[in-house]
Formats: sequence, structure tokens, C-alpha cells
Amino acid sequence: MSRPAAASRKSAKGEYIETDTGNKISRRAQITGTANITLGGKTVIQSDVVLRGDLHRLPQRKEDGTMERTPTAISIGRYTVISSGCVLRPPGRNSGGTWRYYGMKVGDNVFIGPNTTLSSASISSHVHIGASCTLGNFSIINSNVKILPGTVVPALMVVPPGVVLGGQPARIVGELGEGWGGGGNGVGGGEEAWVEGGELRELQTMPAFVVREDTGGPNV
Amino acid sequence: MAQQFPYTYYACCVNISSSSSIAQKRSSRVATAHEEDEDRTFDPRSPRANYSLYPLEHLLYCDDCQQIRCPRCYTEEIVAWYCPSCLFDVPNTQVRTEGNRCQRNCYNCPICTSPLQVNPLEHSSHLAPEGSSGASYFLGCPYCNWSSLDIGVEFAKHTGITAQLAKLKSARQSQAKKERHERAENKDIKDTDPPNAPPTHDDLFTNLRSFYKDTLSSTNPVNPLSFDPTLYNSPPSVTRLMNLYAPPSAKRAKAAKPTPMREAHSPSEGFLPLSPTTEDATIARMAQAGWDGLTSTAQRVQQQHPTTKFVDDLWPVQTRLLTRRAKRCATCRHILTKPDSKISSTRYRIRILALDKIPRLSIRALAAHNTPHPSFPITVSSTASSSTTASRFEYESLRPGVMTQYLLTLHNPLFEPIRVTLGTPAVTPGNLASRVTVLCPQFEVGANTDVWDEALNSSAALSSKSKTQPGDAPIQAEAGKVWERGRNWTSVVVEIVPGFPGDTVVEVPVFVRLEYEYEHPDAAVFEKMREEGGAKVLEVPELGKQTREVAFWTVLGVGKVAGG
Repeated sequence: MSRPAAASRKSAKGEYIETDTGNKISRRAQITGTANITLGGKTVIQSDVVLRGDLHRLPQRKEDGTMERTPTAISIGRYTVISSGCVLRPPGRNSGGTWRYYGMKVGDNVFIGPNTTLSSASISSHVHIGASCTLGNFSIINSNVKILPGTVVPALMVVPPGVVLGGQPARIVGELGEGWGGGGNGVGGGEEAWVEGGELRELQTMPAFVVREDTGGPNV
Repeated sequence: MAQQFPYTYYACCVNISSSSSIAQKRSSRVATAHEEDEDRTFDPRSPRANYSLYPLEHLLYCDDCQQIRCPRCYTEEIVAWYCPSCLFDVPNTQVRTEGNRCQRNCYNCPICTSPLQVNPLEHSSHLAPEGSSGASYFLGCPYCNWSSLDIGVEFAKHTGITAQLAKLKSARQSQAKKERHERAENKDIKDTDPPNAPPTHDDLFTNLRSFYKDTLSSTNPVNPLSFDPTLYNSPPSVTRLMNLYAPPSAKRAKAAKPTPMREAHSPSEGFLPLSPTTEDATIARMAQAGWDGLTSTAQRVQQQHPTTKFVDDLWPVQTRLLTRRAKRCATCRHILTKPDSKISSTRYRIRILALDKIPRLSIRALAAHNTPHPSFPITVSSTASSSTTASRFEYESLRPGVMTQYLLTLHNPLFEPIRVTLGTPAVTPGNLASRVTVLCPQFEVGANTDVWDEALNSSAALSSKSKTQPGDAPIQAEAGKVWERGRNWTSVVVEIVPGFPGDTVVEVPVFVRLEYEYEHPDAAVFEKMREEGGAKVLEVPELGKQTREVAFWTVLGVGKVAGG
């Protein structure tokens, strides 16, 4: 945020394409339906990421007879990292005999680890998703959640804010500390970029957590 | 959960105290231990360290005690109960009466704990029990495909699942009860017949409770003077004998002794004797159901009664509630964090974090400077990004005996510049004696001023060093010199020579001591009050600039020794 505007844009032949709003997108990401994808800015999409923007809700006919604009299939916020090998597939279901897709929302400061597959309806801000996770159809992840590597979140599951999720199927295994997601003025700034292709100062660098037994979560 | 290297833990509740006031408040009993530990190096390998090391995100800060607060030194108060699945708040009164379970439509799969979904049943005809015509919903598990149809449960409405389930269960139980009664009436075919189902846990409990209630109310004190020869050894007669010989003063006390009660001895009284026939039937059923038909321990524990043996008897599990808790300093009882009681907001009304009060230490290998953090595994082929993959540092395989340079960066969250003194033992405690040298143990870290300051005077001097390209000649780390400095951060070089494998993990304890000039934020207000109020406001805190000192231990996890 505080950083002066990037003076030297990368040359055209780099690994990443940088957009006007500072998004960095790997040339080797497989993005379909780019018109139906919005990126908030300063977001990194690494190589071999699959974004299925072509799986969008069908435009509805408006009252005056004209068709509405094609709805956004995937919207991604700011300072979000999508690591290599991830697949983002908007959620869909059979309604009234036809298969319909719905929009997928990813918030700000979200980190998605490598080789994770997502079909969530929404992922809020300050969510850290580990490597090789599966997030089922229409799952909803609230803000400030850490999902451990290899977790399988069942379809339609709602994850409350401030928890650590793990296991197959996903269970609440702990709580995050109060400082997760940046406490306030003190965090960020001055750090060198630790992320390939990105200067993600806002992103917390892997804060740890303490597993608590008495959170009332289901027995593991 | 193993933290990825490199990491920093902050020690709290070890017996080092930055402000002496708290030490004085504590009881004199621990004072001796205090003095002993005061000068000792913090040992991250000691068993006690397990309970005092936390990542910075988990620590709070008490402004009054001027100390870090960890889960061991703050207390918690429940602000609100809520269901993690439907995110509805549950009032305290309901938690007290109904227990900590969601009373709405939230259920977990009895097989795999995944949240169950209410699904409409497309063709509801053959499965619907007689009489109920419109049953057309069921609970289904999106993970393991368990459904409530497996146990023959359907719902007429998609809301009020709890009430419907309770009704179904009680209907089933009364049905079973009726059958048992019918069988009990014609007693002549008792032993040869296949045994009927034993009464359920709930039935037994109600029977037992009513039995005890009856006996308690009907137990009359036995007349001590009536002598029944059959009860010669019974407690009442013993009491009678004792009464005869006891002095009169003791008699009254003895009389108050409760008379012994008869215990339950039939199923109608809540006592279920072990009968070989029912046991045989259970064993036969177990043999028939096979391994897959039996419940696992985890599944049994989740059920209301942990006696459920068969998968067919599993009942959907009501979702357990979670709490939002406020935290108080255990010493001065001040509130440290207080979340909004509404579950939908993740904001806090009060939140004093150690993050905002204590400098953040982060360590990285100098070789990995300007390269990605190891937590972001890069699978990019070497052709595209030559610099990143080539110089990636392996924290998991440090070479023993070879000096490695690390960069320790301190970020200052305070609005005042701080003077920092770092102290490390020359040789780390534990079997793996690694040698540690901080090249510049005393330095200053700038104040956390407005971020725009840095942006506006982004001079060439600042950016020149930070933009070191891997191809350039590397800057030599010099003793006594700061490696790099920014607006509110300073980096110094730490040289570590890992010892030969004893332990594998290299952890370096670092004692951090800060000093800064502090001015009370409301100093002007207090000054005015003092001028006006005179003697009335004696409790005005010390005004003017004063030097504050904060000290604490941290532990840097710098990596693992290879081959250990």
C-alpha cells in the first residue's frame, strides 16, 4: 500500500503479467472466461492455476426484454494469492432439471495453498488455506479462518469465523488467536516480498495457532 | 502442529519480569524461584518451555501491568454462545436449560461428523411410515452419503428438525415399550423365545429415577425398639444396640443417620440384569452386522448414550455450540479483549494485542533474502524464474558445523523509536550446542509513523540497499553494523553455527530488551487537571517523558540439522 507505484513494469517476457491494478497473473495459468472474472488488485495467480470463468450463471432476461450482462463467475479480492496448481470452479447444482452455476467470491488477503480445489460459494477475508485441500460445493468460509493442509471441507458446510479447520471431513480443531489477520497499525510495512511475483505486505506470514480442546467443536 | 521454519515464539510466564511491580504482587512463596531464574538463560528445550512459548498472534498485552499476557495469565469470560453451523446466537438461558447444542436444524453426521443437510425426498412413498402421508424431507450427509433414511427417519417439514426428531424418537420408544409390556404379560414363553429388545437407556433412567424418588419419599425411619429376629445383622438392629449402650448425648446424633435403602432389582425399577439371552442376541447381531455394521469409538462417544453398538442405531448428532470469550488480565482484572457479542461481526470492542505493543521479530536466512518464503512452495520450472529456485534456502537441512548467516528483522509497532538490546547465549542450551553470534546486538528501530512518510521521502538511499540483485556483489556483514534499516524496522545479521546432531531442531533463545521514551497520551489533559484541581487529583500518573523498559525472551526456530 505504502509502496510507491512500481516504477519499472516487468518486461513483456516475464513469468507474470501485471495488470493496471497490480494483479500478477502467471502466463501459464489456465484461465477461461476472463470476462467473467474480477480481480481486486495486487492479487497473484501463480502458474497452472485453473480459473473456470466460463462456468457462470446464465444471464436472465430483464423486464424490458433485453438480456442482462453475463454475471461474474469468480470474483477475487485484493492481496490474495492463489498458488500453483489450484483449481477454482464456481459452485453449481441441479435446480429445476437444469444445471446452474452460481458465483464464487474470494475476499481480501486470502492465501490458497498449492494444489487446492475450490468450489466454495464464498471465502471471506483473511483466510489461509493450506496445500492440497478440497473445498466442496457451496461451502462458505467466514473471515479469519485457517484451513490445515489436506483438509476436505464437505459441500454446503458453513465455517464460522476465527477457527482452525482440519481433517477429512473438516472439523473445527482449534481457534485462532486474536492477532490473526493483522492486529492494527503495527503489522506490515518494510518487509521484502516473500511471495513469488508479489509484494503482499498485508498478508500475514503463516501465523501459527494453538489447538484448544475446549472449544466445543465436534469430537475428533 | 509443527510450525514451518523459520519461526519466532515469544515466551510469557517464565519467571522473568520486566516491571518489578508484578513480581512484588505475587506471593512471597515464588519469590525464591524468581531470583533463581532471573539470570538464567531461557531454555526452549526444557519441558516447562512448552507451556510458555506462543506465537505473537496469540499474545495479548496488559497496559496496566505493561506485560505480555498469554493464555496462562489471562482469564476468560463467555460473551456469547453460538452455533458454528447456522451462526445463530443462543441466549444463555437456553444454554442452561437445553444444553450446549443447537436447537435449530443443525445436525452432524453420526458417521463422519460432517454437517447434515436437509434434502427434499423426490419419491416419498415406500419408505414413509404408515399414517404419515406428506413426509418428504430427510437429513443427508454430503461427505459420506449417510442419510436419515438409513435409520428410517423422514420429516414432514424442512424446519423444526429437532422437534420432529424428538417426536419420532419418543414414538419409537413408546412403541418398543408397548411391545415389551405385551411380552411380559404372557410369561410362559419366556426363556425359549427369542428375547425381546432390552429397554432403552432412557427408559431405564426414568424407571430408576422414579424408583429412587418413591423409595426416598416412602422410607420411614425404622422404629428402633421393634425387634425383628430376621434382621439381626441388619443395620437398624445394630443401630438399636448401639443406641442402648451409647451415652445419652450421642444418641441424638446417631438417630440422624439415614436408614439404608433397598436397591432396584427389576427392569421396571431401572435395573437391567445381565441376561444371557439378550447378550447372545447382541453377539449374534454383531456377527451378522460385521465390522462395518458396528460403531467406532469416536462415533459412540458422540452419541447421546455411548452404549450404541450398531450403525443402524446411530442417531443424528446435534451440533455443539461454540463460544465467544472476553479475556481479562489475571493480575489486574482489566479487560484485554472483548469481542462483539454479535456473531456476524468479527470486530472487537476492546482488543489489546501484543502485536501492537511488542516488536515483531522475524528471522530468515540471509541466503534466502529476496527469495520467496518457504511457506510458498514454488513449482515453477527453472527456465522462467532462475533466481528464485536457484537460491532457495533449505531450512530443513542445515549443515552442522557450517556457519550460516541469518537476518533478524525487528518491526516496531510503537509510535516512539525504540532502543533494542539483544542477548543470546553464545552456545544454545540443549544437546545440539549451536554457536550464535549477533553481529549487532544494540541498535535502534524507528517509530511506527505514518506510512506516507516513508512513501514521500522514499529516497534513493533507502531503496538502494534493499534492491540487491543476486548478481551483484554481496554486501559483507560487518560486526557492529546494522544490515538494513527502514521506517519502523531494522535488520541485523545473526551468525549461527549449528552443532552436531543431538537434537535436530535448532532453536535460539534471544533475550530482547527495549527502552523507549514514553509520554502519556493524555498528558496535556492531566497537566490541565493538576493545575485546576490542586490536591484533588493526586492520582495523576507521572507526566512528562519517562523511559520505559520492556524485556522478554523469544525463541527463534532457525531450522533443522540435516541427517539428525
